Amino acid sequence: MSESQKKILEMLAQNKISVEDAHRLLSAIGADEGGRGDTGTGHEPERDRRSGTKTNPKYLRVTVTPAEGDTGGKGNLFQDGNVGRVNVRVPMSLIHAGIKLSSLIPGEALDKANHALKERGINFDIRHVKPEDIEELIEALGDMQIDVEGGRGEKVKVFVE
Amino acid sequence: MSRPPILMHIRFKNEDRSFGLWLPLFLLLPLALVVLIILSPLILVALFLLWPSGWSLWALKVLKAACVSFCAMRGLEVDVQNASQHVYISVV
Repeated sequence: MSESQKKILEMLAQNKISVEDAHRLLSAIGADEGGRGDTGTGHEPERDRRSGTKTNPKYLRVTVTPAEGDTGGKGNLFQDGNVGRVNVRVPMSLIHAGIKLSSLIPGEALDKANHALKERGINFDIRHVKPEDIEELIEALGDMQIDVEGGRGEKVKVFVE
Repeated sequence: MSRPPILMHIRFKNEDRSFGLWLPLFLLLPLALVVLIILSPLILVALFLLWPSGWSLWALKVLKAACVSFCAMRGLEVDVQNASQHVYISVV
């Protein structure tokens, strides 16, 4: 048990902080100590899942890596001169701001978007998306990791860090 | 609203040439302030005229959202590379 953890428990015993506050502080310390000795892999939410604590994700990262070495004559995206390596890091705050910006879309444009979605077989009304749903969606992104491997060996990864 | 970005780094590289550019975004803020002060009489008249239609409120909301989006850009990084070209954009 570290000094900070002892101090929090002492404060709890002395009724200086509530049980919830103590839990929050202990979780924060746990996350901080878990973060030490980070090898730079950038998979903090995954580690937090394992340790049982949860931190707010800061960035959404999308990476595309072409196949390495011989691809058996199939070629790969890099050799074909198309997009080879892609590494995009989008701050979550920007996603948040972008989604909020979408609430300012005029009604006629939303109708058109709904119509276009329906044409593509997606029966979804954008008007029904509420700010609370968006908050929940962004929070849930912390648990997300997508790994796709293409036919030519390219790997697409989407995760938050 | 978070702190606005200070710099934007753009790097482009292909087989023939390569260049890098540091754009001082922090200089945009005083510039925008000066433009806002100069245009403020016109903006106020436009807001006053458009108030009954509700467009001025919408315009103010859009302006606020644009400012928030600009500030949220800090940390954005785009790195795209193929066999012959490399484009890198980073907002610091």
